[in-house]
Amino acid sequence: MTSPLPVVELRDVSKSFGNVRAVKNVSFTLPRGSVLTILGPSGCGKTTLLRMIAGFDAPTSGEIFIQGQPVSSVPPYQRSIGMVFQKLALFPHMTAAENIAYPLKMRRYDPATIPGRVERYLQIVQLSGMGTRRIHELSGGQQQRVAIARALSFSPDLLLLDEPLSALDKKLREEMQLEFRRIQQELAVTTINVTHDQREALVMSDEIIVMSDGAVQQAADPVRLYREPSSRFVASFIGLTSLLTGRATKIQAMDVAIQVGNMVLKGRTADETIQNGAWVECALRAEQVRIFPAGKGFAEFDNALEGVVDQQIFEGDRMVYQVRCPALGDAPIFVFDHDPAHHQFHQKDDSVRIGWNAQDLLVYACSDA
Amino acid sequence: MTGARGKTIVLWSIVWFNLIALSLPTIIILGASFTSGDIVRFPPDGLSLKWYARLWLLDDFKDAFLRTLYVSVICTIVSIPAGTLAALALTRYRIRFRTAIQVYLLLPFTIPLVVSGLGMMIVFGEVRILGQLWPVGIGLCCINLPFMMWAVSATVNALDNNLENAAANCGAPPLQAFLTVTLPAVMPGVITGALLMFILAFNEFLVSLFLTDARIVTLPVSIYNSIRSVITPDLAAVSVVYIVIALFAVWLLDRLVGLELFLKSK
Ligand SMILES: Nc1ncnc2c1ncn2[C@@H]1O[C@H](COP(=O)(O)OP(=O)(O)O)[C@@H](O)[C@H]1O
Ligand SMILES: [Mg+2]
Repeated sequence: MTSPLPVVELRDVSKSFGNVRAVKNVSFTLPRGSVLTILGPSGCGKTTLLRMIAGFDAPTSGEIFIQGQPVSSVPPYQRSIGMVFQKLALFPHMTAAENIAYPLKMRRYDPATIPGRVERYLQIVQLSGMGTRRIHELSGGQQQRVAIARALSFSPDLLLLDEPLSALDKKLREEMQLEFRRIQQELAVTTINVTHDQREALVMSDEIIVMSDGAVQQAADPVRLYREPSSRFVASFIGLTSLLTGRATKIQAMDVAIQVGNMVLKGRTADETIQNGAWVECALRAEQVRIFPAGKGFAEFDNALEGVVDQQIFEGDRMVYQVRCPALGDAPIFVFDHDPAHHQFHQKDDSVRIGWNAQDLLVYACSDA
Repeated sequence: MTGARGKTIVLWSIVWFNLIALSLPTIIILGASFTSGDIVRFPPDGLSLKWYARLWLLDDFKDAFLRTLYVSVICTIVSIPAGTLAALALTRYRIRFRTAIQVYLLLPFTIPLVVSGLGMMIVFGEVRILGQLWPVGIGLCCINLPFMMWAVSATVNALDNNLENAAANCGAPPLQAFLTVTLPAVMPGVITGALLMFILAFNEFLVSLFLTDARIVTLPVSIYNSIRSVITPDLAAVSVVYIVIALFAVWLLDRLVGLELFLKSK
């Protein structure tokens, strides 16, 4: 074999709870040392997927392989997997150090080596000197670090993270994302991270799987996922995206003309099955749209139209406008305007012109057609 | 400003009124027990320890005290595994007839103690254990078990659902995980419940009245019997013994669990 075995492989894994199909035919492989993020809205089956990999639940159908071995008959305590739980699940009656030592004791490490190993992992998560604290004597961020150290101290083949950061405030969360990234790279541990936070997914991962309703919508690296979302769902889940519904009127290879309201817009599609006259959905990223005062800036864009500012939000590094275009039947278009310091803001109810290029209007066949 | 001050005054008045109302009987008994006179009164006629000395010489009370201790220990020892496992099973694991079992175990709360006492007297009489001391402990355990289960359930409910999964993930097989993680994690609740059971059994009067006879009276029953004849300050001294035991239990709870935790879990 030339390429090493993937650490994890899922083949057609499904899980039903009674009538609820929580996970539907999920397959993927994860090479050693990489970080996979499973991204999806709450209730889409992320936790269920992780629980099956960790061994707490058995798949209804399909098989999970770890280091090439099928694991359906391997109980969780015999799998070499570290997990950080959504609510951490630290042992409340133990100190930080005892929590970190617990997997080493259970896995029968030589007792003489345990204190040194615990110390090393306390250092990795930057908690040196706090080993003797009880769990309730630590802050939220410090508890996160203990949970990470406990999941990693026995050098597992695989690390699972079930949204452990979701309870933290924004600043601490972003700090811990970078911290995870640093530790992950330092130890080169293969990781599956679960989140509903698109920013976290983009920051932390080598590969992202977008799930909805138990099924995989798209699997791609962060850049491709952002630039080439394969469906309207993925496009709307990541980034600030305006959605338009219309009818395809003219199709030449990838180029589509779409009738929306009484406008004809130019867009681009990857879907060859779209027919003339079919209903389509279009997605447009806010950062691809430019905004001008009324009467200016038409010529250079494939699509340009008049609108009225409905709402403006100042976010410091940029302005976010919501523009209503009567020609599009009043569907709102979101626009980012970066570095607004050097030109004027548009106020609410100002008449403006907005424009974007055909390649940025992503066209998908109607999902409920 | 004045509104806030008015509120403070009202709240503190209520607090002080409650504190005084709650502690007044205790203070009076405490004072009366140190009297050098021959009747229970407050303030006492002079100070002495003579009623304590007399108490020590009264074999009836001493025996009753030891019997009560014995009964309370049996009640506590039986309730620890029974209450802990029942509470764990009902709150933690999916078991069949869960609601039915829950209702059944909480039943003692809804039945008047007179009825429980009478029922147990009849049953114990039928199986010919009435008149022995240990069944009294079992009987008291039955009627107070809901307290034990409440104490443990409160702790269990505060635990993370994934605690056992986390242990398994760390490499612990189920039994090991139960012994090293689940059980120690619910320990504060078990200790709280056990102390509660002990004190309740130590104080229980009505059911004990049904289950004991002249040979095996427990302390509460024996106090009741003496009240019916003549009230002397040695009764006040016995009451102080009770208070001391209760205070000791609270102190122990604070040392073992932390009162803060106990008050929060309720
Ligand atoms: N033990 C269970 N019994 C019944 N339904 C469940 C169970 N666990 C999860 N589900 C259902 O499966 C779906 C996916 O849940 P989950 O994996 O927790 O989603 P996520 O972690 O993405 O928020 C939900 O609809 C949830 O109600
Ligand atoms: Mg979840």
